[in-house]
Amino acid sequence: MKKAMDFFDTWVKSQEKLVENWMETTKKLPQTLRGMETFKNNRSDPSGSGFVDLYTSWVNEMISALAKMHGLNTDIIKDTLSKVTDGSDVYVRFYKIWLPIFQAIQERVADPDIYRELIDPIQYKEVVDRIFGFSPDAVTEFLDQASKLSESWGFVAKEFGGPWMKAARKNTAIAPEFVEGRPETFLNIFHNLFCAFDNTIGKVFHIPAVGKDREKVELIMRGCDDLAVFLARNTEYQHMVYVTAVKAMDKVVETVAQKITNGEEIKTFDEFFDLWLDINEREYYDLFRTEEFSKMQGELLDSSLNVRKHFHKLMELYLFDFPVALRSEMDDLYRTVYDLRKKVGYLEEKLNGVTEKEAAV
Amino acid sequence: MKSPIPIVNTRNMIRDLGELNRKLIRGAEILTGIEKVDVGTAPMDLVYQEDKMKLYHYRREGEATCSIPVLIVYALVNRQYILDLQPDRSVIRKLLEHGLDIYIIDWDYPTKVDMYITMDDYINGYLHNCVEFIRKNTRNDKINLMGICQGGTFCAMYAAMNPEKIKNLLTLVAPFDFSPNDGLLFAWAKHMNADALVNNYRVVPGDFLNMGFLMLMPFTLNIRKYVDMVDIFEDEGKLLNFLRMEKWIFDSPGQVGECLREFIKDFYQENKLVKGEVKVGGREVNLKNITMPLLNIYASSDHLVPPSTTRPLNDLVGSTDKSLYEFEGGHIGVFVGSKSQRVLAPFIAKWLHERQDGEPVKKSGVSPEESIPPATPGKKLKRNRKS
Repeated sequence: MKKAMDFFDTWVKSQEKLVENWMETTKKLPQTLRGMETFKNNRSDPSGSGFVDLYTSWVNEMISALAKMHGLNTDIIKDTLSKVTDGSDVYVRFYKIWLPIFQAIQERVADPDIYRELIDPIQYKEVVDRIFGFSPDAVTEFLDQASKLSESWGFVAKEFGGPWMKAARKNTAIAPEFVEGRPETFLNIFHNLFCAFDNTIGKVFHIPAVGKDREKVELIMRGCDDLAVFLARNTEYQHMVYVTAVKAMDKVVETVAQKITNGEEIKTFDEFFDLWLDINEREYYDLFRTEEFSKMQGELLDSSLNVRKHFHKLMELYLFDFPVALRSEMDDLYRTVYDLRKKVGYLEEKLNGVTEKEAAV
Repeated sequence: MKSPIPIVNTRNMIRDLGELNRKLIRGAEILTGIEKVDVGTAPMDLVYQEDKMKLYHYRREGEATCSIPVLIVYALVNRQYILDLQPDRSVIRKLLEHGLDIYIIDWDYPTKVDMYITMDDYINGYLHNCVEFIRKNTRNDKINLMGICQGGTFCAMYAAMNPEKIKNLLTLVAPFDFSPNDGLLFAWAKHMNADALVNNYRVVPGDFLNMGFLMLMPFTLNIRKYVDMVDIFEDEGKLLNFLRMEKWIFDSPGQVGECLREFIKDFYQENKLVKGEVKVGGREVNLKNITMPLLNIYASSDHLVPPSTTRPLNDLVGSTDKSLYEFEGGHIGVFVGSKSQRVLAPFIAKWLHERQDGEPVKKSGVSPEESIPPATPGKKLKRNRKS
């Protein structure tokens, strides 16, 4: 009974929110519809997005309410529901991206170049980010955490992390430019990273390398260096993914334009969606099977593991004086357990052999 | 989730929204009502355990009609209950129905204390001890060995090192030749720094591997699957089927570092198995030593372990009675597809029945269309069970 109540409480809350949003949208609806009529005059501001915003808002409410529910019995159910809502979210976001093109189609426009102009690259990037699990805030958050950690240990001033965070924010902001294929964006990103490097590690170079903290300083320097390499690799990797997304979208647009020119009817939005999925899957398969991608992925993994490795070493150095078991000490212990297990197994086997022989006698 | 395109009237928008809303709410309601997602329910007994590894013996309704027991060895990746996902999608139940006596290894979930376990420990330790246990307890000099995916690679190596203990060898969707790059995992693994990976993680998390699996078809596996799921929300039976599969897919044990290091370097990167250069615990693995009957099963549309990596085994073994079986479908279909239940499992049972007396079978070609013997009811099996 409690479970059902929890569910209905959640349901009511999400519905209340839905109604509130719906009322908001309804208020705006006449304006929205007017916008649709004036589409010809203002293609860059496609109307109809009220529906999508409403839906997205409702889904977000629903997810956050469900996450708090105690009624869901297993993690798999919770995870599945979350994935379904994520999937639906991409579906609806995609709808939003395509809305201007639908309107163009209604007006019998079948020009791929016009379709391309109607696609909002920032929104499209968000869809790609969701599919590949790229989190634009993750790097900033990571650097923020690293900075806080340094601060709490009182070793490096909090300013140490600052320039890196600033660089990450800048790089995140200019990331959509990749979608538009601007090569100078790379230079900007590396410039931002260089500035961060110069303002942090550059300063550390002037610290006299004496005393017991020397090893820590070196590790931090190595860590920052590794982080810069990782950020650069990650940027290249994401760039590869975005470029492929744009290529795929180009193909979708051309296919749709061809269909319209041929007088073919696309009956449902699902047809668009499936077309988009199929073309993307093929394009990404072609990318993933290249030697270049495999190498890039291997280098990205390697660089992230380097960051992790130096972070762990640094942790060990800081925790050394505390009464806690260190990772390397646990590794030794596990080695001993492993060796003992083998010895016991061997001795048991021998003992069984002796017992069997005795029994036979 | 059907919605007409160019929706420029509010009625359509409201209807679409309402429909989506209704389905999701209804789905959430049904999901909330599901108590648990059962998998692997065929009755079995724990008969042997060593560290985390467990050996189970499936209970039978009647006596087995095939006198030689079968030991099933699944991969270290994912869990073996895919073979018994649910009562009506269970290769295990079908094999039992068709008269086999079945044992299965559960590798369990390794933790950091297991980080030093090597391939030698898995093959010449755990697997060997299970074979010995079954031989001794069923009073058979030889047993049937059935390896699946990576478990098939392990079984082939074990059979090559211990041919006198294996009556028949069956391998299902198992990789042997790691040189082809038509499977993305094979291409990607060639550029992976196995030392850095293992030294960092010790036990490589299952989620790390899952990420790789999802990247094989990111749009289908991350989006399409879940968008389509909205349409089955109201069918509780289909929903449960979906959830069981989801549970299995994301129930991924971590990978023991030392063994994974060997597997990536010696197999994926250097392809030592087919070159005859693999050594397990100092012992050379020569696939020519596999002289027992071999049934090598591959899936025609397998994107995880492509046929090109599986098929070469038959050219590398010393067996004269060797067969290749093409299953029409994908990697997972071999375990849960309707054809797997209807055709493949009965065929495996038939193949083993024909080879239980040790006489060579003249006809080595196999055809899935061959007549399958009916399930044979028998007397209740008397057996001492440990649990």
